[in-house]
Amino acid sequence: MESGKMAPPKNAPRDALVMAQILKDMGITEYEPRVINQMLEFAFRYVTTILDDAKIYSSHAKKPNVDADDVRLAIQCRADQSFTSPPPRDFLLDIARQKNQTPLPLIKPYAGPRLPPDRYCLTAPNYRLKSLIKRGPNQGRLVPRLSVGAVSSRPTTPTIAAPQTVSVSNKVATPVSVTSQRFTVQIPSSQSTPVKPVPSTTAVQNVLINPSMIGPKNILITTNMVSTQNTANESNPLKRKHEDDDDNDTM
Amino acid sequence: VGSVAVEDQPDVSAVLSAYNQQGDPTMYEEYYSGLKHFIECSLDCHRAELSQLFYPLFVHMYLELVYNQHENEAKSFFEKFHGDQECYYQDDLRVLSSLTKKEHMKGNETMLDFRTSKFVLRISRDSYQLLKRHLQEKQNNQIWNIVQEHLYIDIFDGMPRSKQQIDAMVGSLAGEAKREANKSKVFFGLLKEPEIEVPLDDEDEEGENEEGKPKKKKPKKDSIGSKSKKQDPNAPPQNRIPLPELKDSDKLDKIMNMKETTKRVRLGPDCLPSICFYTFLNAYQGLTAVDVTDDSSLIAGGFADSTVRVWSVTPKKLRTVKQAADLSLIDKESDDVLERIMDEKTASELKILYGHSGPVYGASFSPDRNYLLSSSEDGTVRLWSLQTFTCLVGYKGHNYPVWDTQFSPYGYYFVSGGHDRVARLWATDHYQPLRIFAGHLADVNCTRFHPNSNYVATGSADRTVRLWDVLNGNCVRIFTGHKGPIHSLTFSPNGRFLATGATDGRVLLWDIGHGLMVGELKGHTDTVCSLRFSRDGEILASGSMDNTVRLWDAIKAFEDLETDDFTTATGHINLPENSQELLLGTYMTKSTPVVHLHFTRRNLVLAAGAYSPQ
Repeated sequence: MESGKMAPPKNAPRDALVMAQILKDMGITEYEPRVINQMLEFAFRYVTTILDDAKIYSSHAKKPNVDADDVRLAIQCRADQSFTSPPPRDFLLDIARQKNQTPLPLIKPYAGPRLPPDRYCLTAPNYRLKSLIKRGPNQGRLVPRLSVGAVSSRPTTPTIAAPQTVSVSNKVATPVSVTSQRFTVQIPSSQSTPVKPVPSTTAVQNVLINPSMIGPKNILITTNMVSTQNTANESNPLKRKHEDDDDNDTM
Repeated sequence: VGSVAVEDQPDVSAVLSAYNQQGDPTMYEEYYSGLKHFIECSLDCHRAELSQLFYPLFVHMYLELVYNQHENEAKSFFEKFHGDQECYYQDDLRVLSSLTKKEHMKGNETMLDFRTSKFVLRISRDSYQLLKRHLQEKQNNQIWNIVQEHLYIDIFDGMPRSKQQIDAMVGSLAGEAKREANKSKVFFGLLKEPEIEVPLDDEDEEGENEEGKPKKKKPKKDSIGSKSKKQDPNAPPQNRIPLPELKDSDKLDKIMNMKETTKRVRLGPDCLPSICFYTFLNAYQGLTAVDVTDDSSLIAGGFADSTVRVWSVTPKKLRTVKQAADLSLIDKESDDVLERIMDEKTASELKILYGHSGPVYGASFSPDRNYLLSSSEDGTVRLWSLQTFTCLVGYKGHNYPVWDTQFSPYGYYFVSGGHDRVARLWATDHYQPLRIFAGHLADVNCTRFHPNSNYVATGSADRTVRLWDVLNGNCVRIFTGHKGPIHSLTFSPNGRFLATGATDGRVLLWDIGHGLMVGELKGHTDTVCSLRFSRDGEILASGSMDNTVRLWDAIKAFEDLETDDFTTATGHINLPENSQELLLGTYMTKSTPVVHLHFTRRNLVLAAGAYSPQ
C-alpha cells in the first residue's frame, strides 16, 4: 500500500477537503489516501449516534425540539462508554502507593514452571468429550463420569437467570430447553420417593448439555453422577452451582 | 517515602478552583506582553534563564482562559504568542490549538496532568531575585499569582546558565527535574555472579598447551564472580529483591556463556563489528516488535495482525513437546528423554502464535528460553511457552494498549508499560502486578530492566526518562532533555550508564549514579528506535527510522566525566560537541527502519527491520 499521496484532488467533496485540512493542522503530513475516508466515516457515525441519542433524550423529556442540552447529555453518556480515557493521575498514584507498600513476595524454590493458579491461566482444555454410554433415568446405577475440564474460570456461556424449578422426578415430561445452558440434573432413582435434594449427592456443575443427548423421555441425561443411590437421590430441580468468580481486579 | 509527585497532589477541586479568575481575562495579553518586555530588556546573562518562563506561563494562561470559557480571549492570546515559543514545543502547541473549549479538556489526561502538576524551572538565585522584584510590583501581581500557583522554581546558587546549557536539559512536559529528585542513592553496580565449577574438557581450546602436553583435567572455578571478595559499594545486596535460584539448566547456560565469552571479539574504533541484518519481507509496515534471545538462537516478531511469529536462527528447527498420548509411550528412563519428548513430525523453522486481539507492540524472551512475552494493543501481556508454543497466561491490568514489555535479566519478573501512563512490575506466578510505577504525564513507551534487576527505566511520551526502584516503587531518577517522545532505552553492561533515543533523532547518555546527562550523540535524522551496547560496553549501536545503523565509541564518550559536586548541584553540564568524533560508522539499509539491535555473545551485531519501500 502506498503512503505519501497527499492532498485529495480538487474535485473531491468539500468534506474530504475539510478533513484533509484538519489532518494538516494537526501536523500529520503523511498518510494513506484512504485515511480521509476512514475519518469521514467515523465522523459521520459519531455524529449520527450522538444526534440519535439526543433525540431520544429530548423526547423523553417531552420537549418539542432537540436542543443543546440534549446533545450535551448524549455526548457525555457516549464518552463514558466508548471513549474512555485512562484513570486520572491522583487515582494512579494512590493505587500505586498501596501496591508498592507490600513487600515483594519470596520465591518458592524448585517449584517447576512458575505460573499463577490454574484458574488464571489459559492452560485448561476448552472442550469436553461426550460420553457414549447413556443410562435411563430410572436406574440409579453407577454411571460413567464425563471428563469435565476445569471450566470454572471461563464463564462464557450464558447462565440461566432464574431457573424455574422443574421437578425432574418420575414423570418428567417437561422438556428442558437446552442448548448451551449449564445446570445440574440429578437422576432420580426410584419412582416414588419425594423430591428432596439430598446434600450428599455429588452433583456436578457446569455440564454442557448437548441437544443430541436428550433421551427418549425428553429428559436430559447428563451423566455426571458418580455415586449410586437407591435411596433418595432425588431429583432435584435444576440446580445450578455457582462458581465463584472472583472479582476481576482490573487494576 | 512517597514519590516526588506526592506533594503535587492537591485535591482536584482545589486545583480547578485555582483556575477561577486569576485576574481579568482581557488583561492576559497585557500581562504576558509586560513580562515578555521585561525579560527581553534584562541583562544577557539572565535572559536565557528567565526565558524558560515563557512556555509554562503561556500554556497555563491559555488553559485558564479556555477553562473559564473565555474562548475569544483564549484564541487571540494563542494567536499572538504561540509563535514566540521554542521550536521544540511545537507539537504540544499543536495539541493545545485544538483545545478550544472547556469540554475538550476533560478527555485529555495529559493536559489535565499538566495542569495539576507544577512545571519545574531551575533558575539561579540572582535571576530569581530579579524576577521576584519585578513581579511583586503592584501591577504585576496577577502574574506573580500564576507563577506561584503553577510553577516550581528550583533555585540554585551559582552562575546563571547559558542558553546552550538550558536547551540541553529542557523539553519535557514537566520542565526539568528538581535537584532532590535525583539525589537518592541508586545501586547501579552489578550483582555478583555465582561460582560455578567449570569442568575442563577436550573441546575447550583455552589454556596454553603449545607443547602439546595433555591438559590436566581439573575443574576450574568460574573467575568472574570471585575477582573481588569485597562487596562493591555501588552494588545492591544480593538479597535486596528476591531472585529465583539457579537451576541446573541455568548453570549449563552460564557455562556456555563463559565459553562464548572467551571467543568474543574485542571491539574498538579500529575493530568494528560486522552487522548481520535480518529483513522481514512482505510485512507491509505490520512489523511492530522484535526480540532475539540472548544466545541468538531465536527471533520473535510481533505483528499488526496480532500474531507473534518465532523463527529459529540456527539450523536447528523448532519443536514442540509431543501430545499426551505419545508421551506416555516413550521410555522415561532413557538418557535422551529430553530429546524424545519433542515431536519430530511437526518440527519447523517458524511457529506462529495466535491469541492476541490487537497489534503486538512488545516482545521479550525469557533468559532461560522457556517463555516468550508479548504485549499488545488489546491491553494484555501474554506469556507463551516455547516448549509447546501455546499461550499459558494472559496478564490483564493495563486496560489500554501496552507499548512495551521486558523480562528481567534473571527471569521470573517482567515489566510492562502502556498508554495508561504507568509501568507495572509482574512476576510470572502472580496474576496481578507486584509494583505500579506511576508518575509519568503521558504514555510509557519503553521499559527496561537494569542489569542487576533492582531498577526499571521507563521512557515516556512526556519526554522524560524515569528510573524506578523495584523494591519500593519509588522514582529515584528523572532525566529530562529529550525534545520528543522516547522510543528506546538501553543500559550499559556495567550498569553505570543509560542511553536513550527519541523522535528528535538524538541519543542521550546519562550517568545514573550522579543523575546527570553526560553525552549527546547527534547524527540520526529520524526517530532512534533501537539502541544496544556491545557485550563489554565498548560500542553503542543505534538504529533509526532513517534506515541507518550507527556505531558510536562508548569508551570515549564516558571518559573524563565532569561530575564534581558543583555540576551535580547546579546541573551545569558542558557537553562537548563531539558527536562527529564519536561516530565510528554509518550503515545504510534499503528502506528498512532498524527496529531491533542485538549483540551476539561474540560481539557480532544482529539487526532486524521490515522492508518498507515508499
